[in-house]
Amino acid sequence: MKTCLIVDDSRVVRTVAGRIVQDLNFSVSEAGDGAEALQACREMMPDAILLDWNMPVMNGIDFLRALRREEDGSKPIVVFCTNENDAEHITEAMRSGANEYIMKPFDADIVRSKFVETGLV
Amino acid sequence: MQDNTFDELADLALRQTGQVFQRSKFYLMEARLATICRRESFAGIDDLVHCLSERPNQRFEAEIAAALTGKATHFFKQRETIEQVVNHALPNRLKHSTTGRLRVWCAGVATGQEAWSLAIRLSELSDQPLGKAEIEIVATDISEPALQTAKSGTYGHYAVQTGLSIDRLITHFDRHDTGDWTIKSDLMDRVSFKRHNLLESGEKLGHFDVILCRNVLSKMAPVMARQAVGKFAKQLLPGGFVFLGKDEDIHAQQPTLKPSRDMRGAWVPVERDESAEEAA
Repeated sequence: MKTCLIVDDSRVVRTVAGRIVQDLNFSVSEAGDGAEALQACREMMPDAILLDWNMPVMNGIDFLRALRREEDGSKPIVVFCTNENDAEHITEAMRSGANEYIMKPFDADIVRSKFVETGLV
Repeated sequence: MQDNTFDELADLALRQTGQVFQRSKFYLMEARLATICRRESFAGIDDLVHCLSERPNQRFEAEIAAALTGKATHFFKQRETIEQVVNHALPNRLKHSTTGRLRVWCAGVATGQEAWSLAIRLSELSDQPLGKAEIEIVATDISEPALQTAKSGTYGHYAVQTGLSIDRLITHFDRHDTGDWTIKSDLMDRVSFKRHNLLESGEKLGHFDVILCRNVLSKMAPVMARQAVGKFAKQLLPGGFVFLGKDEDIHAQQPTLKPSRDMRGAWVPVERDESAEEAA
C-alpha cells in the first residue's frame, strides 16, 4: 500500500483529505505544520504528500524546499493544497519542486484527478 | 412527478434527439430541466409538461429536448482516446493529405472540454509534423447554453481542476478575479463551435478526417443512433476515422460502423474496404 502524508494546520482539512486519500488506497499519516512534516519524512519518506501553504512554525513552501534537499527527498510526489490560487503562487510552488497543485476548496474528484496526473493512481 | 410527465418528456427526448430515458432516471429529467423551470416560473416539471400540452411550441420543445441531453464531462476525459487521435489517427491522415490541412469534428461536445483538450494537446506538438499542420476543430452540440460555456472557454474552480494538470492550466488559461479561468486567445482561434442536432444532416459542417463522438450514441435508441452514424459516414473523408467512447461497443446494434482493422480504437464505415485502401 502506498503512503500519503497530509500536512495541514486544520484538523478538519486533514480528516476530510485523509478520507479521500484512503479511498484511493493510500495509508495516511498526518502533520500539523512543516516542521512536523519534515520530522515525519526523516523517519519514513512517504510516496505522496498533500501540502498546505500557510501554517505556523514552518510553512508549506519552506518545508518543500527543505524536503527536496533531504536524502530521498526527491522521491515523494508533492501536491500543494492551498487557498493561494493565483498564478504567482502556483508558479512559485512548481519552481520549488511541487508536482501538482490543488486550489481549495477541493473534493474527491479533484484529489483523484491530481493523483492521476502525477501517476500516483 | 406524474407518470404522464415522464412519458411526455421521454417521448419528446426520443423524437428530437434520439435519447432514451429509463423511468428510474426521472430524477435526471428534473435536474436537467431545473433551470428552465426556474426561468419560466414553473413549480416543477409537471407544470412544464402541462403548459406544453396546452400550448404546443416548437422552439420551446427543442430547447427542452436539448436541455435533457447529458452535459457531464471534464478535461482530457478518457485521455487514451485523445492520445490515440493525436499520436496515430491524425498523423496517419496527414501522411495521406496533399494540402497539409486536417479537420476534426467533436460531435456532442457539451460544455466544450473535449475540443479544448484536443487543442491543448495539439499545441504541445510544435516540434512534430502534426504541430505544423493546419488543424481545424469544429465542435457541435445541440444545447445552446452548453455551447455558450464552450465558446466562452471559461470554466470554474472545479472544472479546471478535473482532468487538467496545473502546468496545462497555467500555460493555457488566464485567471479572473472571480476565480474562473479562460482559455488563452491563441487557442481560442483553434476551435469553432456550432449548434447541431446529430439526427440532422451534417452537410453544412463539411467533411472531416476524424470525428469524435463519445458517450452519445450509447444513450440513443438503436434506430436513432444508426441514423446519426449514417450522417457521420456522409461527412467522413475517405480514409477518415470515427472515435467513440472507450466502452461504447455499438457494433452489435449498429452495423453501419465497424472497428478499424488498422487503427486501434477507431471505427470506420462498414462499406469501407481497408485492404483496398492499402493497395491503393
